[in-house]
Amino acid sequence: MAFWFFRGLGKGIVTTRYPKAIDPWTSALPTPPAFHSDRLTIALVDRLIEVCPSRALAREHNELIFDVGACSACERCVQEGAGAVEHSGVFELASTRREHLLKRVHIGRGSA
Amino acid sequence: MTDDALAAELRRRALALFGRSLHIRTVDTGSCAVCESEIRLLSAPPYDLHRLGFFFTPAPRHADLLLITGPAVRAMDTALLKTFEATPDPKAVVAVGACALGGVYEEDGFVHGAVDRVLPVDVYVPGCPPSPLALLHGLLVAVGRLEERVAALTFDLAAEVER
Repeated sequence: MAFWFFRGLGKGIVTTRYPKAIDPWTSALPTPPAFHSDRLTIALVDRLIEVCPSRALAREHNELIFDVGACSACERCVQEGAGAVEHSGVFELASTRREHLLKRVHIGRGSA
Repeated sequence: MTDDALAAELRRRALALFGRSLHIRTVDTGSCAVCESEIRLLSAPPYDLHRLGFFFTPAPRHADLLLITGPAVRAMDTALLKTFEATPDPKAVVAVGACALGGVYEEDGFVHGAVDRVLPVDVYVPGCPPSPLALLHGLLVAVGRLEERVAALTFDLAAEVER
């Protein structure tokens, strides 16, 4: 049997169910991008689609379709779209449905 | 009770059972091994997945959950299906990483391109590779001990400011 069981019994401490708080270093993890939809233009989005190596980005009229599942967090879109695209900082992305990982971002929201 | 409701009830009971402890079998369907390196890290002291009741097992017959990495190369079809069949019911399949979710390789003569084209997938864990914390979160979502968070996210910073 694993030692944690005896350690827990000996110290009378119940081990945590999941990290109580997320460690600060996790902010350095590569994470999928998040978009400032008001700063996106159709031309910029088409450039982002071109630099994406993992087919995570697509455009349907004036919506950017971002497939979080396909994203490899390579950050090329963050460099290409500096100012309009940032790190999301989210890495707890597990989903029970594939379609929950498809995000639609309205291009130019607010400026129209 | 309809078949769907019955299936949902069975699934709920299976998850309640797995919520306590569960054994994991990993299957590599052609990954670059970085996902495996992160999966190995789950046993390291900072993550210590044993404290959560998860254990790795070398045999699919002892497994409750299959952790599948890689883009499902066709050469692995037989091994993958045999592993799936050898895993006793009820079982869960977790697809790990951008390859397994269809991000990196397109479907062609060599790869299926995504694990869910071959097996029914219960939980998708994105990332290239997913960090051990992301994997832990995925495993806990798979057994119903944590809620998934991604469904509520928009990845639209402007929309978040408005809210």
